[in-house]
Amino acid sequence: MSDGRIVVSGLTKQYKNVRAVDDLSFTVEPGRVTGFLGPNGAGKTTTLRMVLNLVTPTAGTATIGGQRYADLPDPLRTVGAILEASAAHKGRTGRNHLRVICAAAGLPDQRADEVLELVGLTPAAKRKFKGFSLGMRQRLGIAAAMLGDPKVLILDEPANGLDPEGIRWMRGFLRNLASEGRTVLVSSHLLSEMELLADDVVIIAAGRLVRQGPVAEVVGSMSTNARVRVRTPQAELLTKELTQAGATVATGTDGALLVTGVEAPAIGAAALRVSAELHELVTERPDLEHVFLELTQGKATIR
Amino acid sequence: MIRLIRSEILKIRTTNTWWIFALASVLTTGLTLAVNCAQAHYYLNEKLNLPSDLPADQAEQARQQFAAQHQVVTQSVNVFTSGQFFGCLFVALLGILLITNEYYHQTATATFLATPHRSRIVTAKLITGIAYAAVFWLLTTVIDLVTGVIFFRVEGFANHLGDWDVSRAVLLNLMAFAIWAVFGVGFGALIRSQIGATITVTVLYVVGMLAAQIVFAVLHQFIKKDWVLTLQVVVPSTASQIMLSPVKLFPQSPPQWVGAIVLIGYGILAGLIGTLILRKRDVS
Repeated sequence: MSDGRIVVSGLTKQYKNVRAVDDLSFTVEPGRVTGFLGPNGAGKTTTLRMVLNLVTPTAGTATIGGQRYADLPDPLRTVGAILEASAAHKGRTGRNHLRVICAAAGLPDQRADEVLELVGLTPAAKRKFKGFSLGMRQRLGIAAAMLGDPKVLILDEPANGLDPEGIRWMRGFLRNLASEGRTVLVSSHLLSEMELLADDVVIIAAGRLVRQGPVAEVVGSMSTNARVRVRTPQAELLTKELTQAGATVATGTDGALLVTGVEAPAIGAAALRVSAELHELVTERPDLEHVFLELTQGKATIR
Repeated sequence: MIRLIRSEILKIRTTNTWWIFALASVLTTGLTLAVNCAQAHYYLNEKLNLPSDLPADQAEQARQQFAAQHQVVTQSVNVFTSGQFFGCLFVALLGILLITNEYYHQTATATFLATPHRSRIVTAKLITGIAYAAVFWLLTTVIDLVTGVIFFRVEGFANHLGDWDVSRAVLLNLMAFAIWAVFGVGFGALIRSQIGATITVTVLYVVGMLAAQIVFAVLHQFIKKDWVLTLQVVVPSTASQIMLSPVKLFPQSPPQWVGAIVLIGYGILAGLIGTLILRKRDVS
């Protein structure tokens, strides 16, 4: 098997009145967690389903390790996917759900028990699916994706319905998979979570690519400069000194000064010069959420 | 392909569906068996009483009809294929579930991810449906055979099991079960909604033959030709009955083999359309 790189090239899906995905191209590298971000309705799910041959593209191609999904000789041994949490027959037990997939993929039955152990569902193996909580359903979905011990993982909103403990577990699980050299592509709208989890991001809006690259690079590339919050009883005095030093100073709603154009050490030095007392001096860097909102602003319209 | 069939069989085996259908099938077989035995008892012991003033040609027609109905072979076929009406309906519904369950429970995604070649999945489902049909046929036939043999012995008539007319009907019954299973799969692909497909097929199956009789009788009023009535064979449930009946179902009914060909034609059509639809449809 080849490296497990996902290459999306010129992918387009035209529905009757809506171009859900519009000439989208990006690559996802192995050994890294890639966050696939976009506002609701941006075309994330449609894109992932086209990669997995569930939706037929109007134009363009998507390959995994150089092959289209439909051409993979043993797809489940190459790619594991979680697309919706509540996807099993209500009256079937968790273990039987996995065994059905094992049978179709030609995997031994014992894999079902192994992956249940992996996601911590062994105690619920013989319980019927309708008795599963949302968090357990997500774990069963992950178990199904891991059946073939795949090199590539594709997950659509895997954190949906998980409690904080579950989200933390998921983060560790996916990071671990990436560190083993696997390709992990995760779509999500939880930006703070993505900032903790992802190495790379692919941001789309209205079906088109907005930005792609390592998280730090994407965040750093934005026009929004670092801003420093300063709180002092001698606000007027310090503002004058800082303006002379070439900084721009604004006053926040809570009375703190918001300084741009100079770094925190320079502000500290200025305060010392004019003997201003400092109560707070914090550098605020733009986070993924700010960058995301700025990048997708005005593009997240209902189409 | 074998692993896909294994997977499909496992899908049915791991839910309640199969035993509910099997139980329903056994119960309805018992019921129809009781009715058919009672009917056979009545016909086999009845004597022909013709009014003396009946014209000779009419009397002859009545005598022929009486003879056909009162033949032990006719009754034997009836008894040994008991449960066919409901059995075929149940396997058709099972065929529907093979497809619509995938959408209703959103498992189509997992199924298509494991096997991106969808025509293989439909083929596996068709084979699984036919296999289950065969099991259901075996179940009803065993019940029919045991009961029937005892019944004819008690009544003091030969059971005619060795007659080709009877064995053929029993074998054709197997074919009917299989074709209705294929039908079900095709219909499930056509109408994705579980309830929609189930109701449509049940209505078509149960009232189809009756509705056809009315429609074709009305047509016959306008076009006074016998072939209009013969055309009733195009209705699947009518074709199914014609195929199984060793005597003519109605005076203008075509021979048994015509019913068989019509039914097989529908089976192939349903399977093909189902496959084509499933191959094209996006799963989202």
